[in-house]
Amino acid sequence: MRPVAAASDPTRHFFQPIIVCLTVASVALTLFVIWISLHDLSLMRAGREKFVGLDNYIRFLGDPRAMAALWRTVLFTVLATVIEIALGLAVVLFLDRDFAMKRLVRTLLLVPIIMTPVVVGLTWRFLFDPATGMANYLLSLVGIAQVDWLGSPRIALFSVLVADIWQWTPFVILLVMAALESAPTDPLNAARVDGAREWQVTWYVLLPMLRRALAIVALIRAIDSIKAFDLFYIMTRGGPALSTETLNYYGYIVAFTNFDISYALAIAIILTVFTNVALLTMYSVLFPKTGDR
Amino acid sequence: MARRALFYVGLALLLLAVLFPLYWVVVTSFKTTRDAFAIPPVWLFSPTLDNYRTVFANRGFLSAFANSFIVSILSSALAVAVGSVAAYGLAQQPAELRRAREKFILSLRIAPALLFVIPMYYLATRIGALNKHWLLIAAYAFVNVPFAISLLITFFDDIPKELRDAARVDGAREFSIFWHVYLPAARGGIIATLILCVLFTWNEFFVALVLTGRDTQTLPVSITSFLTFQGIQWGALTAAATLIMLPMIVLGVLVQGQVVRGMTLGSVKG
Repeated sequence: MRPVAAASDPTRHFFQPIIVCLTVASVALTLFVIWISLHDLSLMRAGREKFVGLDNYIRFLGDPRAMAALWRTVLFTVLATVIEIALGLAVVLFLDRDFAMKRLVRTLLLVPIIMTPVVVGLTWRFLFDPATGMANYLLSLVGIAQVDWLGSPRIALFSVLVADIWQWTPFVILLVMAALESAPTDPLNAARVDGAREWQVTWYVLLPMLRRALAIVALIRAIDSIKAFDLFYIMTRGGPALSTETLNYYGYIVAFTNFDISYALAIAIILTVFTNVALLTMYSVLFPKTGDR
Repeated sequence: MARRALFYVGLALLLLAVLFPLYWVVVTSFKTTRDAFAIPPVWLFSPTLDNYRTVFANRGFLSAFANSFIVSILSSALAVAVGSVAAYGLAQQPAELRRAREKFILSLRIAPALLFVIPMYYLATRIGALNKHWLLIAAYAFVNVPFAISLLITFFDDIPKELRDAARVDGAREFSIFWHVYLPAARGGIIATLILCVLFTWNEFFVALVLTGRDTQTLPVSITSFLTFQGIQWGALTAAATLIMLPMIVLGVLVQGQVVRGMTLGSVKG
């Protein structure tokens, strides 16, 4: 048989044109984006842009609104990722037994994941309505005073977080469940035969086996939380008093409300760099050994 | 016995938490305005289709439905067609080369949409393409191609290498192996990939918000028009929300085994 990697290998023609297209497109896009971010391009006065060097990046460092948005993004991402993983893992361990209708439960867990995010935002805005929403009605049943879920600057970010947790914890559950089912059961039984208690089996044998799946789902959830937009746009529009404005959302406002696209792209670039640094850090913590994959 | 009962109570609570918000929206869409805002909530009521009549009388919503349909089908078909060719080639490569390519494809996913939407918006205003369907189809195809490639590779990997070797011994050309052996063998995976692309495109909001004009608005953008300054028309809104999500829930349940695989790009097989 011929070596498959030979230069004449015809299978190369199947993917190379597309890879080249994607590469050219992303390189051109990157250069264009950097070029714009070094100018003061605004849609309000097109055609009169001039080179401003790193001004947009310096402006970012001195922009308290941007800094607050960055901090909020970090807070939201860390809380969403940690809570979703912890809650998801707890549910997986809870469901780890044979019971009737397990398949049906799995199908039902899929529903939040494939629901249109805009509809998820509307749903939770409906439930959180201060006067007629279900959330306050439930509180009134147990005699707790009404909460202004989306109208209070101290609470609104956490209300959006609740919606995010509702939508994405099932994703963690399904993914970890799949990993658990493909894991071998022999080590578990061996540990039980050796007299380990049930919590010891879970902690020392089961969790290490799930590490790779948990690490992957943590990375995915972190990427998506940093970029979260739909729920914020629908539920709060960054308000009240900018208390739910994340960096991604601020970038959107700068670009399409103020039409200051140079500064918006500087923000987008900073967000991208920031995401990459965070991911690489997470990656090296979660996959410390090189032979892990 | 008590443990078992406790387990089912826990399971019921879990399902209640997952399904109640959805149930409440769908049920509200069949209520009159008075019932929808009654406190304490009305659990039993005589259903009405008034909200759906309002939605169907809204021409903007109907054209948004058509736009969503056209844009998600065309861009997904384009992405899967291009993606399956590339994925076939990549699936035949030695491991190191593949991993480098796959990493590159994955890295395209990390950048926030803002990064490519702003330049696209800027160029589109320059050439007057903002209100054109092809702009949206191109944007989504660009987003979906890397996804389709990464997912399709995992399906092509499931096909035994012996099939390809046997076809080559028979003197088949690469393209005919791809067309007559791989495509039929991976049919289920290709359909699943197509459905997932449609699902993501249909649900996508940010790109659509920026790149659509009056004539090309998709459903998620169009539904925000019910959030008016005069207040929110919850009745019509819940009916519209139900109409938007139901087709996707049906599609999602059809390919349920593949959703988790798709969202993790095959790194975990569900």
